[in-house]
Amino acid sequence: MYGRNAGKLLREVACSESGHLTSFNNILFDKVIQDCSEHHLQLQSLMRKIQDQGLDIQTTRNSDHFGAVIHHLSLIRNKRCLMAYMNHRLEIIRSLRWKVGRELPEEIQQKLTQSERDYFKNHSLALESYMSELDLELTVDMVPPKDPYIQVRVLEDIGDVLLSSAQTTLLRHSVHSLRRSDAEPYISQGLMEEFLG
Amino acid sequence: MANYYNIDEILMEEELVSVVFQVEANGVGLLDPGSESNDVEKGAKVDLPFWLAHELYSRQVVSVNVPTCFGQKTWKEIQADAACVDLRSRCPYFYELGCRVAPLVGDKSIGSSLLYTFAGRYKDALCKGHKSGFTSTPKFLPLLTKEESQLFEAARSSMAAFKKWRVGGSRLERASILGRKRKSAAEVQALNP
Repeated sequence: MYGRNAGKLLREVACSESGHLTSFNNILFDKVIQDCSEHHLQLQSLMRKIQDQGLDIQTTRNSDHFGAVIHHLSLIRNKRCLMAYMNHRLEIIRSLRWKVGRELPEEIQQKLTQSERDYFKNHSLALESYMSELDLELTVDMVPPKDPYIQVRVLEDIGDVLLSSAQTTLLRHSVHSLRRSDAEPYISQGLMEEFLG
Repeated sequence: MANYYNIDEILMEEELVSVVFQVEANGVGLLDPGSESNDVEKGAKVDLPFWLAHELYSRQVVSVNVPTCFGQKTWKEIQADAACVDLRSRCPYFYELGCRVAPLVGDKSIGSSLLYTFAGRYKDALCKGHKSGFTSTPKFLPLLTKEESQLFEAARSSMAAFKKWRVGGSRLERASILGRKRKSAAEVQALNP
């Protein structure tokens, strides 16, 4: 009550490393919503009490009014906290599309709720349709490369893939010279690293 | 309201301040743990989170006392040596809360004292951020407020970025969000060739 649970929810976010997701805290989130309904009930009962006494609800400033004000403020506060919690997560989810790519690894998928997964998918689609309209890949490295090809070392077995040049088999610990644009998504997913020799 | 979604600002407003009720309020018994009925009486002294205290103050329901972290004891310690005072345990949002509380309590000295404190600690936090190593957590970090530790981190990461630029490591990296088992080793290598 009085925004304490909502504060806990946000403190959990503030303690986690910036830019990292934690699992959606369903339990606390629902508790805050329960608090909201409780405040709402109390608010209604106080308002009814004022009306039953035959007083004007707009101008009355008695102890019931101030009680109602406190419940009203708590409601607004809880709303702000819940919105901030969601907004914080959505900001991270949007940034994932830029940092990780179209496919999210399992460890991140698990931390998202179903609606957040849908949000990621739709955001990803929106970005892709914009990029195809511009005919420009926006998520690649911003600094122009000196060489369009790059030496990479494969860190995990990827298997047969079709890259822009040809079909290639990417086995663990093998070193390849790939087009930069082909290699970048694999590097950001942690499957390859740049081989500086 | 600066930013509706700003989590730091919301948490700053969560800090408790002590207030005295100037009127009665019904149906909010949980606010005052000492109260036996479901109401808060006139003259009751209650600790409220700042967001509630601030709104009620503007409606003249409560009067706000100076929070203990802005008391004489703190200022005396700061005058002795600002850099060594543990502000985080007093209030992690010391400066932000101070700025917001000052107009409510009518204590004119808080503003200048805050400025004195910040000026005394700013240079120290920034210099240590530039000089500190990249793996260890320095001893004085738990003394800093949230704002100061952000300043410290900014200095530290800009120094790391500078060193990396000078060495000329790989621009392409595994996304940091995917855990850190490989990243940390690569980063250490890039920093200490």
